[in-house]
Amino acid sequence: MSARAVALEVEGRLAELSARGLNATLSWSLAALEAEAARVDAMPGTGALHGMPVALKDNIVTTELPTTCGSRILEGYVSPFNATAVNRLRAAGALIACKANLDEFAMGSSTEHSAYGRVRHPLDPERVPGGSSGGSAALVAAGAVPAALGSETGGSVRQPASFCGVVGVKSSYGRVSRYGLVAFGSSLDCISTFGRSVAEAERVLAVISGPDPRDATTLDRPPLLPVPAPASLAGLTIGLPTEYFPADLDPGVKAGCDRAIALLRELGARVVAVSLPHSRYAVPTYYIIAPAEAAANLARFDGARYGPRFPADGDLRALYRATRGKGFGPEVRRRILIGTYVLSAGYYSAYYGRAQAARARIVEDFRRVFASGVDLLFTPTTPTTAFKAGEKTADPVAMYLADIFVCPASLAGLPAMSLPLGRSGGLPVGGQLIAPGFEEARMLAVAKTLEAQLDALAEVR
Amino acid sequence: MSVTAKEVQHVAALAELAVEDAELPALTEQLNRIVGFVAQLTELGDLEGAGRYVAGPEATPLRPDVVAPADLVRPPAELAPEFIDGFFVVPKLGALEEP
Repeated sequence: MSARAVALEVEGRLAELSARGLNATLSWSLAALEAEAARVDAMPGTGALHGMPVALKDNIVTTELPTTCGSRILEGYVSPFNATAVNRLRAAGALIACKANLDEFAMGSSTEHSAYGRVRHPLDPERVPGGSSGGSAALVAAGAVPAALGSETGGSVRQPASFCGVVGVKSSYGRVSRYGLVAFGSSLDCISTFGRSVAEAERVLAVISGPDPRDATTLDRPPLLPVPAPASLAGLTIGLPTEYFPADLDPGVKAGCDRAIALLRELGARVVAVSLPHSRYAVPTYYIIAPAEAAANLARFDGARYGPRFPADGDLRALYRATRGKGFGPEVRRRILIGTYVLSAGYYSAYYGRAQAARARIVEDFRRVFASGVDLLFTPTTPTTAFKAGEKTADPVAMYLADIFVCPASLAGLPAMSLPLGRSGGLPVGGQLIAPGFEEARMLAVAKTLEAQLDALAEVR
Repeated sequence: MSVTAKEVQHVAALAELAVEDAELPALTEQLNRIVGFVAQLTELGDLEGAGRYVAGPEATPLRPDVVAPADLVRPPAELAPEFIDGFFVVPKLGALEEP
């Protein structure tokens, strides 16, 4: 199949989903798709992703399509350069399909915080697809593209992958270049991948991984290589952290996890209970560290150098305040205010200093468990299946708690992924695997073996 | 520890963020909810002297100190709201006030 034929097919699917009101895309065009196809059709055809259409979360910059970050403050902005991940996708023969909707500046867990309207869950328009990479997850789940890029700061790929019934993989911090990813929380941000299958998410991750001189936080390790799925898991120890299986865990999520745990045992793995006692502090720790970093990173949006300028009477500061006051939406404003508050004189030690110390304890828990002979951890990805739109928007803390199981691995910089385990009440249930740093291959291999044996469309209770 | 409306205004000024008076009560309430939630870290007791986790490489890699041209497909003039003779144009900076 030529890339041109692929492009036309993708265009048809995007148009259909758009007509259905999914609202998962922020920009795409037939002309841009055709240009991508012409470029790929002129390539030798040996690229690892030759002819694969890939959607990009709209906080990853490209020179052809606008990058808005789901915000009014970047409405109409088109980057003068491409992200390293985009250059690597294109060099491997992928077609950039579209830019996907997201929570504004990746701040949210439901993709209801986009300035361009909320994304609908592909299986139930009354529900959310998760977030903040909800548009990317919905596009893969709805069959528009086989794979997509999202970004994670505190679980923003694994959580929507779980809600939408697709695979979402976050690599170790430093494995993938963030050059061209609009910064949110610099000690946490990771470009991550979605796929219909583990193999698709893995192929895309492999292509974008590896050191980049333009991102000093990338580590000097070679790119990932796709791994085969083992037939047996004998010799492998899987830890189940008791704190991630609370008594009030949604029964459908629990049933999905129980089925997967039984399968892990059947496949020969040793399954043991472990404890990560400080993981319960991950969400409050995250909601100090991430807003503090965001307050600094988002200082650059001021109406002076790029993006729209909101008119103000008065001096330069009046311009800044008006542009930022009107350009940022409510959740971004809240986080900038919290981040500025926790960093302000008199509060720094009480909040930011304490969160830094709590983060070290969360990291130490993981280190201790992996050092005790545990190869991988298995947990539910989310406490519930996809919730209804509007259910958590009035209470920011209720929304934050949707990330309770995904946040700890982000704080610890560990590779982690969500895998569809089955359906509960027709909605997908996701399971999470967490690996020691830079052990993505082990995690992906086990996920492939599980995937091959699990009917992810079957009701689990 | 609770956040007052005055503190919200102070922090908003530090963050160069316009906040309308009408939105102040709801914003103050939400920030108090968040600050109350993150305060549970006090349960961890005295963390003085506790280690810190630093994400990323152990040492910052250095690159050669040479000027390399930025590979931009469009110049700043096309991105800026107002740009004249090589300069970003903004209103004058008023009298400096301490927020």
